[in-house]
Amino acid sequence: MSEVDMAVTKPEMMKSYIWLQTADGSIQQVEQEVAMFCPMICHEVIQKGLGSSKNYAISLPQRVNPAMLSLILDYCRFHQVPGRSNKERKSFDEKFIRMDTKRLCELTSAADSLQLKPLVDLTSRALARIIEGKSPEEIREIFHLPDDLTEEEKLEPLKNTTDDPRIRLLNRLYAKKRKELKERQKLKNVEVEEERVDDRSVDDLLSFINGDGGDSKGIKTSKSKKKNRRRKDQQKSTSTNEAIKNHNKELNGLNSVCCSVEIGQKSWSGVGASSNLHDVEDDIFASKNELDDGEIDDEIDPALKEKIDREVEDFARRLNSDWPERMQEILSFGHERKPVHFSLNGNGSLRRYANSEQR
Amino acid sequence: MDFTMILPEECQSLIMSFTSPADAFRSAMVCQALRSAVDFDAVWEKFLPSDYKSIILGSSSPSSLLSLGMKELYLQLCFHPILLQNGTMSFQLEKGSGKKCYMLGARALSISWGDIPHHWTWTPQPDSRFPEVAELELVWWLEVKGRIETRILSPNTKYAAYLVFKLKIRFTAWFRERPVTLNVNVDGVVSGEGRRVSLDPRDEPRHVRERGDGWMEVEMGEFLNEFGDDGTVEFSLKEIDTRYIKRGLIIEGIEIRRNA
Repeated sequence: MSEVDMAVTKPEMMKSYIWLQTADGSIQQVEQEVAMFCPMICHEVIQKGLGSSKNYAISLPQRVNPAMLSLILDYCRFHQVPGRSNKERKSFDEKFIRMDTKRLCELTSAADSLQLKPLVDLTSRALARIIEGKSPEEIREIFHLPDDLTEEEKLEPLKNTTDDPRIRLLNRLYAKKRKELKERQKLKNVEVEEERVDDRSVDDLLSFINGDGGDSKGIKTSKSKKKNRRRKDQQKSTSTNEAIKNHNKELNGLNSVCCSVEIGQKSWSGVGASSNLHDVEDDIFASKNELDDGEIDDEIDPALKEKIDREVEDFARRLNSDWPERMQEILSFGHERKPVHFSLNGNGSLRRYANSEQR
Repeated sequence: MDFTMILPEECQSLIMSFTSPADAFRSAMVCQALRSAVDFDAVWEKFLPSDYKSIILGSSSPSSLLSLGMKELYLQLCFHPILLQNGTMSFQLEKGSGKKCYMLGARALSISWGDIPHHWTWTPQPDSRFPEVAELELVWWLEVKGRIETRILSPNTKYAAYLVFKLKIRFTAWFRERPVTLNVNVDGVVSGEGRRVSLDPRDEPRHVRERGDGWMEVEMGEFLNEFGDDGTVEFSLKEIDTRYIKRGLIIEGIEIRRNA
């Protein structure tokens, strides 16, 4: 190793300098610790052994002109001193970037070519603050940009994203899901309409399921239209189930009621084996019908109201203890799709889950 | 001097990433060079919330979303809310700011008497984003509550909560000139009485507004989320004067979004 080389690698012996050459040909010396703050210069020195003398000056990228180099070196000279506080550095930075927009752009470019990331971030943020909130026209003016978009492009905020096949697939999936929901809604509407008319107690229905065939005809005739549709669907989806095949005929008649039971639970009026409750429910429905005519008279006897509230609570409690399993049975036979699951809420009342939530 | 000539595209997109989505949309209208600089993935990944990947993984179709480019993903999340938590909550981004916006579906709310079919029924609605909405049949005690953790919201953002609902046509009389109490409380601190607002748009044309998706909304209150360490925020709708009954309200959910 020559003496000159040794001088470069032992900074504590004497102040070392690095030789830099800008694109215009001019060469200058810079204190080593300042110049080495730039990763690009650091790399040239360490990997290629350059910069130790005038003849082996490091050639800087074209974007770094002498003026920019001077600014960058000022930045490096300040920040390479280890003892400075964050407050000091921040204060320096704020003053440092006070320059016109053009210089800020050139400085960003130069710092980028020297890979001096902290300075690139600093100047980029300053430029971002200039852009924020400005209209396209204002931005064009400040940065001297050409107005070279087509009229079409000006109407579209961004590249047309619906051309992307992945977006189209996603949107198709959403449309499909919406369609499914609509169909489910239609079906349930039909069933809901039915159940308003049908308010037989479930006790009656149960005795019917358990083999009392006497009533079947009566039930069938009263709802022939809707049932025909049900029968077709029923046969399609349950044809593979052995147990259900046996009950098919009776279940077709039951189906409308079972589905309505599943949805509205209104025909459970008699379940508590409390005829009181049944009467009370009828009262509610009766008063509901009156009120449906749009009358505003909504004062229900408070005593009656309290009675209703209590009955409802009783009823809910009874449901919890006796019915979850029974209902599962009924519904898995009578429903053309998957069974509906129940679970108990914290306060002891039943909570029905629709299938879409069981994922 | 044309700065796009001076600066390489990477620098231009770095600068854009320090602005906001709204600024990026505007910049795309400036010139060809800026338009293509704005297109960089790095820009839009910066605008997405930092936890966007884990949010998407909680949705129903994460793989199709994660295969999108960053800009496409951003736009998709702005215009097509994704369902989380088993379809009880929706998530989207506010287009101009990239702030998170959630809607608690009716199933995510605590509705008094909600499990009793005489009082509330649960039905699918074609214009709802959720599988089910809550339909009020009849109650005397109307109380609906929701809550959200501030840590899932965007930091340093002022938020407002909106009740998203409809009134059934035949039953609009029940809420006419009958205000309800709407309240927003941060972490259990009761911030006053709440506001008394009628849900009927005829009574309150300024406060009860059409959303444009078939539903109406009314502001329940607002709060500031700083660092997401304020615990939970609770929202409530209450009308418990038991002298008169309430009917005909359909609730889609409660939306929590940035308040300008």
